[in-house]
Parts: sequence; structure tokens; C-alpha cells
Amino acid sequence: MIYLDYAATTPIDEAVFDAMLPYLKPDGLHGNPASTHGPGFKARAAVETARQQVAALIGAEASEIIWTSGATESNNLAIKGALEFRGFPKNGKPVHIVTSKTEHKCVLDTCRQLETLGARVSYLKPDGQGRMTPEAVLAAITPDTVLVSLMWVNNEIGTVNDIEQLAPRLRERGVMLHVDAAQAAGKLAIDLKTVAVDLLSLSAHKLYGPKGVGALYVRRKPRARLSPQMHGGGHEQGMRSGTLATHQVVGMGAACALAAARFDADVAHWRGLRDALWARLQTIPGVLRNGPTDGDRAAPHLLNLSFPGVEGESLRASLGGIAVSSGSACSSATAEPSYVLRALGRDDETANASLRFSFGRRTTAAEIEQVADTVIAQVAWLRELSPLPRNG
Amino acid sequence: MPIYLDHNATTPLDPRVLDAMLPYLTGPYGNASSVHRYGRAARDAIEAARVQVAALVGAEASEVTFTSGATESNNLALKGLTEGRVPSRVLYGATEHPAILEAAESLRPHGWGVETIAIDRAGIVDWPAFEAQLARGPVRVAALMLANNETGVIQDCARAARLVHDAGGLLHVDAVQAGGKLAFAFAATGADLMGLSAHKLYGPKGVGALIVKSHVELLTQLHGGGQERGLRGGTENLAAIVGFGAACELAAAEVGQRIDRWTVLRARLEAGLRALPGITIFGDGSPRLANTVQCGVAGWEGEALLMALDRKGIAVSSGSACASGTGEPSHVLIGMGWERDTAFSAIRISLGVATTETEIDRFLAVLADLRAQAVAA
Amino acid sequence: MTETDDGNAFGYAPEIWRLFRNAPNAGAFPDGTPGVVSAEAGTPAARSVLRLALRFDGARVIDGRFQAYGCPASIAVGAWIAGWASGRHVDDLRLLKAAHLREALEIPEDRAHCALLGEDALRAVLSRYQEHQA
Repeated sequence: MIYLDYAATTPIDEAVFDAMLPYLKPDGLHGNPASTHGPGFKARAAVETARQQVAALIGAEASEIIWTSGATESNNLAIKGALEFRGFPKNGKPVHIVTSKTEHKCVLDTCRQLETLGARVSYLKPDGQGRMTPEAVLAAITPDTVLVSLMWVNNEIGTVNDIEQLAPRLRERGVMLHVDAAQAAGKLAIDLKTVAVDLLSLSAHKLYGPKGVGALYVRRKPRARLSPQMHGGGHEQGMRSGTLATHQVVGMGAACALAAARFDADVAHWRGLRDALWARLQTIPGVLRNGPTDGDRAAPHLLNLSFPGVEGESLRASLGGIAVSSGSACSSATAEPSYVLRALGRDDETANASLRFSFGRRTTAAEIEQVADTVIAQVAWLRELSPLPRNG
Repeated sequence: MPIYLDHNATTPLDPRVLDAMLPYLTGPYGNASSVHRYGRAARDAIEAARVQVAALVGAEASEVTFTSGATESNNLALKGLTEGRVPSRVLYGATEHPAILEAAESLRPHGWGVETIAIDRAGIVDWPAFEAQLARGPVRVAALMLANNETGVIQDCARAARLVHDAGGLLHVDAVQAGGKLAFAFAATGADLMGLSAHKLYGPKGVGALIVKSHVELLTQLHGGGQERGLRGGTENLAAIVGFGAACELAAAEVGQRIDRWTVLRARLEAGLRALPGITIFGDGSPRLANTVQCGVAGWEGEALLMALDRKGIAVSSGSACASGTGEPSHVLIGMGWERDTAFSAIRISLGVATTETEIDRFLAVLADLRAQAVAA
Repeated sequence: MTETDDGNAFGYAPEIWRLFRNAPNAGAFPDGTPGVVSAEAGTPAARSVLRLALRFDGARVIDGRFQAYGCPASIAVGAWIAGWASGRHVDDLRLLKAAHLREALEIPEDRAHCALLGEDALRAVLSRYQEHQA
């Protein structure tokens, strides 16, 4: 089995696991971080160290990091919390959110839920490479716009949005900016000291940390204000209640520290693998690259391709020994073609015949060669089998 | 070696639970929503854990939704039952956990009538008052905990369920402290929804469950991805879910032995405590969890005592870990009608599966010492 | 992991997987082969097209070929029919129903349309055979 689905989830790095393990053993580090006694203080100290590690990866202060159960909760908290703090829907004032059609499902689902409560949401269509330009976002702003929610890196096609350019222009207009950075952290240099993002979501299991933990960055200066979405106990500065899972939080901290330390090497490694795979696969007649065609403007760790003329399910089945994704992991159990590729203008059949290859620290050049051989052979075989007119 | 007597705040992970989790922490298992083979193995593991959790309380696996913990379970229950409905009333016991209390109070601005259910000095529902309260108008949901986190008092949920159902409402039962410390069946409690937490029963932190009867209409509170049959979005916390399942299976098999051991240890502990002058054991005459004692002595200050014990290497609590360090007296004891001074004097001792007689004796000796010093000073 | 490493990562039924991977009888007869009747069922928009070609000697099939664009089950259906038809009398072919295909290949409920695709393609061949006879 060759695993090329690291954008869906990564294994826990050994160093991260080693950091977590003491908190899973009955040796006095099992305390509840909210308890005011020795075991509680030890757990609390570990939680605070981890908070600093997460903050350091994105150029934030530790006090700006709120622990959550993952990026889905972070995105829910950011969007619903920002609206609720402004009195929505109780005060009856019109509110408007700007987002894009290619956001992660949890952002889109949250926005749809808010629409049922009366919010107005603009789902902007990206350009052909999946990009939301600052101009397109600014053109959608109305006097009622309270929040823009945009991902930094698209999880399916690797498009990088120009958050650096967009952020200050939203600040000028008094519109909050929430950025889903689940796919960006550890892949792009992020420095929130210089980029005016108000809220930013992170996930541990996309960067060699454990599942079940994430974070929301909440800017202190100027203060981004949120209403909590999970009540009880007042943990996390009152913004998110619930007993902190020490081992998971420690794992996320260790994963962020590792990602920061390895950043240059990781990016160079992934970029090399991605470009090598594309060099091989672009020889397939008719193949289409989804997302930015200029590799320098794309996230380094993934490559999304369409293979017109082959049926997607058979293509994926024929690659049985290779774990890839047909889109975002959350939607690939259903046979529906990726809504992200549809938003880019791909037709249903082409969108369905698409694969996302995403690379990890341990992916080797030899694996890439083997994958390229297999994909080339299987696409050729399926086209040979097809009664449809030849493509390409 | 420090003595840990705060198992109601959190328990250490059972080494057997850690063994069950390890392959999912170190292995190549993927996102449980991915379709490829790692993903399918992960999904199978989640479904096996769902069966184990359901079995602990005699529920159906299909009734179990995994969450990030009890706080989320309790929030999901109260908010999911009320969202999008014409507001009526939400009732909760005066001694409920902050997660219930604050989730319920958050509904007030949305037009819901939020009322507490009176609890008597023994920690038990004031039944006549509750019946009168239910008769005053429609109720969407009443929330009561099966066992209290501070006093350990066990509530007659089945009786509450009959009354609430007769009034046309639903009963949510927070069974976080009862899980693994009391043998009970979901159906027998009469609950329509029930919250559970893994880290209170020797499972990992960061995972819990909400058990929901199939007839209950509940709206998701975490949107996106469609996991947990659309009720709770987000990539599943695989290793923790597997650990939760393993912990529930062990609890189901061992709860009888655990209770037997705790009953003996607690008798020893309480005998020692009763030797102190002016002692009150809260909920003394009521059915209580076998591992829990909350007590106070007039003139003591619980927080100060807790710190003094901590310096001697003994971890106890003054109440809920969530409320620690706030300088407020236990809202549970206030809710039961105890005076503030008495509530301020409270400490909670909660035993674990590994607690020994020696530890109990050591705790009692240290306590007597501290008491003697206080009297001398 | 319990599965054998035959690449069947998505857990298709063994017969579907075998026929999909080996695709016996795939292809078309060379142009000008005598006695060949072929027909197609399905549409690209529905992501399944099956072209079936049977070579007749009188009322008996002596060989079969198929081409398919679709999921593994639809490819397996094409391969199975092309093999099964060989040696059979045209009257026997008329008896094949989608239900038989579903049983033979363990096609699940949500892929019932793949079996119907096979039945449709065979019927189309038979009706064209009928036209040739008339």
C-alpha cells in the first residue's frame, strides 16, 4: 500500500507520539488541567507549553490560542461565535457573510445553517484556478457584511488565496476575517504578526499530530470577539468549555513545533515529489491539472488531476494499492463529484475522473515512480476498455 | 508517591485501554471518512467501539453519537432539542454540572424559560415541588444527573422520567459520573438522552458520547462533513473512540468488583472522618456512588485545606474541577440548601480502582495532623 | 487488515473484482468478422456505457466481446455476459434477466442499474439479431 492521502490525514509523528505518551500513563501526569492540585498543575503546565508551540508556528501570542476538538469545531466557533457576539439572530439586524464555493464542507454547512436563521451569505465563485482574488472579495462586501471566511489553502486543489493582500483591506472596512488554515499550517509560512487575520482555524491531524484536537486563533489586538458555542465551566477564557485532553493538546503542540523546525525541508521535499509526479503524469493524453498550474503559486503538498475518458470509480478501484482521494475526505464516501472541481467549471464526468495525490514526509521518489507507472497503465487500460471515442 | 483521591475530576488511563489505543495512535490509519482501505478499517474500529459503549448502559449502538466529551454531549442535548422550536421551558436540577447549567442558561436569550429543579438538603429532587413545577406549563426538556459529581448522590431518574413524560417533555440524564461506578441501564433510567464521558471511567480525555433514543428529534450543533449520521461533524477522534470503547467494556465487566472494593474503602474513610468533631458528610442518608465522599467541617476552608493536602502529596478537590480556583463555594451544596460557610468548608474525596487502604489511612492521618495544627494555631 | 492484498481495497464482491481486473473477452471483433451483431446500452452522462458484440453461427453464439465505460460492476457485467453467451442458443439468451446477473455477480442493491445495463445491452443485440433474420 502506498499512502498518498496525507491531505486527508497524517499519521502521528513518532516524536509527537513520544511527547503524548507520558500523559497517557498512570504516572501522575493524568490530572485534569482544571484541577488545583499537583497533578492538575502539571497537566496545566503541559497545556500552556503546547499553546506556546502552536502560537509560535503562526506568529501569534499563546493567549490568542483557544483549544478545540478540531478544525470543524474551530470553523463552527469562529463563524457562529462571531455572528452571535454581534447579536445575531436575536437583534434582528441584517448580517452578511462572504465566503467561497470551494470552502471546506464544514464552513459551507455552517453558513447554510446561519442562512436558515436569516443571515445572508455570498458564496463567491473562484477563478479557473480556484483562487478568490482580493478584488472579488471586496466587490462582494456590503454595509451589512460582518465576516469574510476564506481558506488559506484549498484542501482539494492546493490553491493559495492571497490572504496577505486581502486582510488589511478588510481591516480598513471593519469586516472580520476568518481563515481556515487547516491545510496551510506547516505548508506555507504564516506570520499573523504581519497579516491582519482576526480568526484562524488549525487542525493537528493534518500536520502529524493526533486527531480530535485543533485550535482557533483569536486575535487580541484589536480584539476579535466571539460568543462561546460550548458552555460549561468557562475553560479557555470562557470561549470554549470542556475538560482539555492533555495528551492531545500536547500532541498538537509537539506537532506544531516539529512543523516549524522542519518547515524548509518539508516544503522542498513535497514540492520535489509533486513536480516529479506531474512530470510523469502530464504525458497522459488529455490529462488536466486542477488548481494553479504554476507550481509556485500552489501549496507544495498536493496535486489534483482529471483524467477525461475514464470513469472515476473504476479508476480509483484499479489503483487499489494506492491510497489517494477523489476529493475532500469528507465527501468521498459518496459517489458525488467534487463540488470544488464543479465550481472550477469541470463537468460532472471530468470532476468524477479526478484524483488528489498528497504527499508526506516519508513519501519517497521511488513510490512516486511506482504510482506514476500504475496510473499511466491503468488510465490506458480503462480507455482501451471504453467504447467511447478516444480522448486526447 | 503522591496519593490521588480526585477520580471524579479525571481518572488515569487504564493500561489495558492504552494498549487498545496504541495501534490507532501509531498505525497508518487514515481519516475515518476516507474510502480507501485504511479508512474502512478505521470505520470498523469506530463501530466496534460504539457497540462497547452502548453495551455498558444496555443501549443500541445506533443510539450512540460520539462527541469530544461530556460538555459537548450536554450542550448538544440541550441546544439540539431546543433549536428552531417555539420556546417553552427547559428545567435543570439545582445541582447539575456547569455544562448543563450554562448550556441551559444560554437558551434564555432565545426566549426559553429556564428554571432550576429544586433539590433538597439530601441531594434528592424535591418531588412535590417538581410535580407542581411541571404542572405550570409545557416543558421541552428536563435535565437531571444520575449521580452528582460532588456528593455522589444518585437520583431516581426513572421517577423523574415518568413525571416529565406525563408533562409532554423529554428527560436528559447526565450520567458522566455514574458511568462505570454504578450498574444501570439506559432504558431503566427512562432517559430520552444520556451523556457519558470516557475520562471519568479510565478512558482517554477528549471523547464522550450522547445516547439518543431514536424517536428524539435533535439538531446538530457541529456542522460539516456529515459524520455520526449527520449529528456531529468533524473527523472522528479514532484512537480516543477506540479507548472509550475499551474502557466501557472493562467497566461493564468490572463495575461489580469496583463497587465492592470502594464500599469497603469508603466505610473505612467515613469511619475515620466521623471521628472528627463537627463533620458533615453531604448526602449522607441518600444513595450515593460508592467511591465518593464530600464532607465539610465547620470552621474549615475547603480551598485552603485542599492546598495544604496538596503540599503533603494528596490530591483531593473542593468540588468540580471546572470551578476550582474561582473562590466561589460549591454551587452543588448551595443548590442543596446548605449555608455558604458550610459549603466553603467542603472537600471531595473520590476513590479510584487502584486506591488502597494504606492511601486512605495516610489521608486520614494527614487530615488529623492538619486539623491538630489548625486547632493549635 | 483482513483483506488479502489483491488490490481490492474497496471490497467489491469477489466475482466482480475478478472480472473487472481480468476483463476476459474485452475488446471488439476485427472489422468484417462474419456473423457479428453488436449494440450499446447506457449513456456517458450516466457514467455507464456497455457495448456488447456477439458472433452468431446461425441461432447459436460462438463468441462474445464487450467494451465498457463505467464502474467496476458494469465492466464485470459486460465481461460476464460476453463469456456466458458463448455456445448458447439465441432462445437461451432471451431468458437472461438483470436478477440473474445480480445473483451471479453479487451485485448490491445500490448497483442494480449495472445489471439492468447488461440486460439492456443483451436485449439490444437480440433485437438487432432479429432484424437481421427478418
